[in-house]
Amino acid sequence: MRFAFTDDQKLFAEGLRDLLEKECTPARVRAAWDDGTGHDSTLWSHLADMGVFGMLVPESAGGLGGTEIDLVLLLEELGRAAAPGPVFETAAVVAPALGDAATVGTVALDGSPYVPHAHVASLVLVPGGIARTEGSTLTAVDSIDGGRRLFTVEGPREPFAYDEALAFDRGALAAAAYLVGVSERMIDVAAEYARQREQYGRPIGVNQAVKHLLADALLKVEFAKPAVYRAAWSVAADEPTRARDVSIAKAFASDAAYRSSRSAMQVHGAIGYTWEADLQLWMKKAWALQRAWGDATFHRRRVAEAVL
Amino acid sequence: MDLRYTPEQEAFRAEARAWLEANVPAEPLPSFDTEVGFARHREWERTLWDGRWSAVSWPEEYGGRGADYLHWLIFEEEYYRAGAPGRVNQNGIFLLGPTIMEVGTEEQKARFLPTMASSEIVWAQAWSEPNAGSDLAAIRSTGVLSDDGAEWVLNGQKIWASRAVWADWCFGIFRTDPEAERHRGLTFVLVPLDAPGVTVRPIAQLDGDTGFAEIFFDDVHVPVENTLGEVHQGWRVAMATAGFERGVSLRSPARFSATADRLVALWKEHADPSDTALRDAVVDVWMQAEGYKLHTYMTVTQMIEGRTIGAEASLNKIFWSEMDVRIHELALDIAGPEAERMDGPFERWVDGFLFSLSGPIYAGTNEIQRNIIADRVLQLPRGA
Repeated sequence: MRFAFTDDQKLFAEGLRDLLEKECTPARVRAAWDDGTGHDSTLWSHLADMGVFGMLVPESAGGLGGTEIDLVLLLEELGRAAAPGPVFETAAVVAPALGDAATVGTVALDGSPYVPHAHVASLVLVPGGIARTEGSTLTAVDSIDGGRRLFTVEGPREPFAYDEALAFDRGALAAAAYLVGVSERMIDVAAEYARQREQYGRPIGVNQAVKHLLADALLKVEFAKPAVYRAAWSVAADEPTRARDVSIAKAFASDAAYRSSRSAMQVHGAIGYTWEADLQLWMKKAWALQRAWGDATFHRRRVAEAVL
Repeated sequence: MDLRYTPEQEAFRAEARAWLEANVPAEPLPSFDTEVGFARHREWERTLWDGRWSAVSWPEEYGGRGADYLHWLIFEEEYYRAGAPGRVNQNGIFLLGPTIMEVGTEEQKARFLPTMASSEIVWAQAWSEPNAGSDLAAIRSTGVLSDDGAEWVLNGQKIWASRAVWADWCFGIFRTDPEAERHRGLTFVLVPLDAPGVTVRPIAQLDGDTGFAEIFFDDVHVPVENTLGEVHQGWRVAMATAGFERGVSLRSPARFSATADRLVALWKEHADPSDTALRDAVVDVWMQAEGYKLHTYMTVTQMIEGRTIGAEASLNKIFWSEMDVRIHELALDIAGPEAERMDGPFERWVDGFLFSLSGPIYAGTNEIQRNIIADRVLQLPRGA
C-alpha cells in the first residue's frame, strides 16, 4: 500500500506545467476561442512531442507505455491551463483505443448528441465503431466553452472493435482529473484576487465570508483528488470496482468544479461577471465538463448500483 | 502507487480481526458518559491492553506495537468492523500520548505512558475556559511557581473537559507569565484530579449524560515535574496536540465507513427504494465516507514518507464532522416518526445524531478551521 506518485511522475507533471505556462497562457487560450477553432495546433505539437498523447500507447507503437496513474497528473495540469482542443479525449481515450498516438481524435460515448472538437479531429470514437470526420457532415452549434466547440456529426460509421466500457471509464476519469486542475486554478486565481482587491481600506480576503467561500471550495477539491487518483489506479489495475471508483471520482470532481466556479466568481464580484476577466476560461470549462461524461447524479447512481 | 495491501499487512489484519472476534463484548457497553459505562469501558481498555491492542501505533516499550499509520488504519478498520466499544481514554492515548512522546522527558514517558496505555489512568482535556473557547489564547487560569520553585500553584476554571467526571488526571494549559504576549506565557501542566483544591462539576450534555465537566482549581499544588514541554511554551505544545486531534489520529475513517455501511443497511431494510432523492443522498454520504478514507490513506502515505501535516488537518476536521452529521440526519429521515423516540429501535441513531452535532464545534469550530485553511493554505490576509 503506497498511495502516492513517484518522483518521476511528479517531475513529468512539473515539466508539463512549465510548458503550459509558456504555451498555454490565458492569452493563448483566448486566441483559440477567438479564432473559432477552440484549438491550438502549436500547443498540440508541443504536447505530442512531450509524449502526452502517447502515454497510454504501447512503446512498440511509438508511445510511452504508461498507465492512467502516469497520465492523471498530466490531465490535472491540462485543466489548470484550460488547455483547448481534444487534449484529454485523445490522450486518455482515443490513443489507447486505437493504439496510436498520432491521430487527433475525439469521442461521442457519453450520450450527448454533440461531439466536442469534431472539426479538428480526424475521427470520432462512437459506440461500436468510428466515424471519420472527412466524409461526415459537421454542423456547429454554439458552445459555452470557446475551447470546446460542439458539433453534430452525420455520416457513415465504420465498425471498430474496442472496449467501450473501458473507453467510457477512461473518459470520465480524464474529465474528472481535468476538472480538478480547473478547480484548483479557479481557487488560486480567486485567492490572488482576494489578496489584492481592497475595499474599506483593506484586502477583501480579510473577511471571513470571503475566506469561507474559498475554504469550502478547497475542501471539495482536496477530497476529490484522492478519489481521482484511486480511480486512475483502479482503471490501470483493471480492478473489479473500476466503474464504481471512476464514478466516485467524477461525481466529486463535478461537484468540486461547480462549487469552485461559484466561489471564485463570487469573490471576484462584478469583474467575475465580465468577458474580460480570465476567470471565465476555467469557469466555462467547469460548466461544460461537470456534465460531460456523466454529471454527478449520473455517477452517484452508478455508485448506487454497486453499493446499495 | 500501489493500493494493494502487502501479505504482511493482510496478516496483521487477520490477527487483529481474530483477536477482536474473540474479545469484543457481545452486547454494546453502556455509554462511557455514565458511571457504570465508564467503568465498563475502562475494563475494556484493560482487555485491549492485555492483548497489546490499546495503543498499536505506540513504541513497544510503552505497550504499543510500533505500528506505522497504515497498520493503525488497518487496525481501526477491523476495530469498527467488529463493533468494538468507543475509546474512553482517547484523550490520553490519541492526543496526550503522542504529545508526551514528542516533547516529554524520558522520565515523563516512563511515568505516564504505560498507565495511559492500560487506562489505569484515564485522561481528560482541560483547555477551554468560560471566556476562552475559539479564542483559546485568552486563557486566564494561572500557574504560579511556589517560593521554592518546586511546585505550580494553579487557580482558575476550565470547562467542557470531556470525560473529566470520572477521569483520573487532566492535561491543562495555564497562564504562567501574565506579562507576556498572550500566546506566550502559557504552560502545559499535567494535574491529578484528586489533588486537594480540584473540584469537578459535571455538565449534562445535550443527550443528558455528563460527558463533560467544569474543573475548578483553587490553590492546587502540583510538582514542576508535571510540566510538559518548556515553561511558557504551552501554546506550542497545545498546538501539537491539536494537530493530532484535527488530523488523522482521533477520527479514523474506519469509524465513518462503519457508520455509513450501517446507514446503507438501514436504507435497505427500511427505506422506500422508489424515493430516489433519499437514495441519491444515502449513496452520496457513503461516497463521502469512502472519500474520507482515501484522503486519509493518501495523507498517511505522506506522513510515513516523512511529511508532517499542518493546516491541511483542518480540512479533515470539517469533512468528517459535516459528514457524520449528514449520515445521522439521513438515518433519522429513514426512521421517520421513530426518530422522536429516545428508547426505540433507532435509539443508537438518535444518540448518534446528538453526538454528531458536537463534531462541528469541538476541537476548534468548523468556522475556525475555515479561517485556518484560508489563512495558512490559501494565504489570505489575516483579519484585523
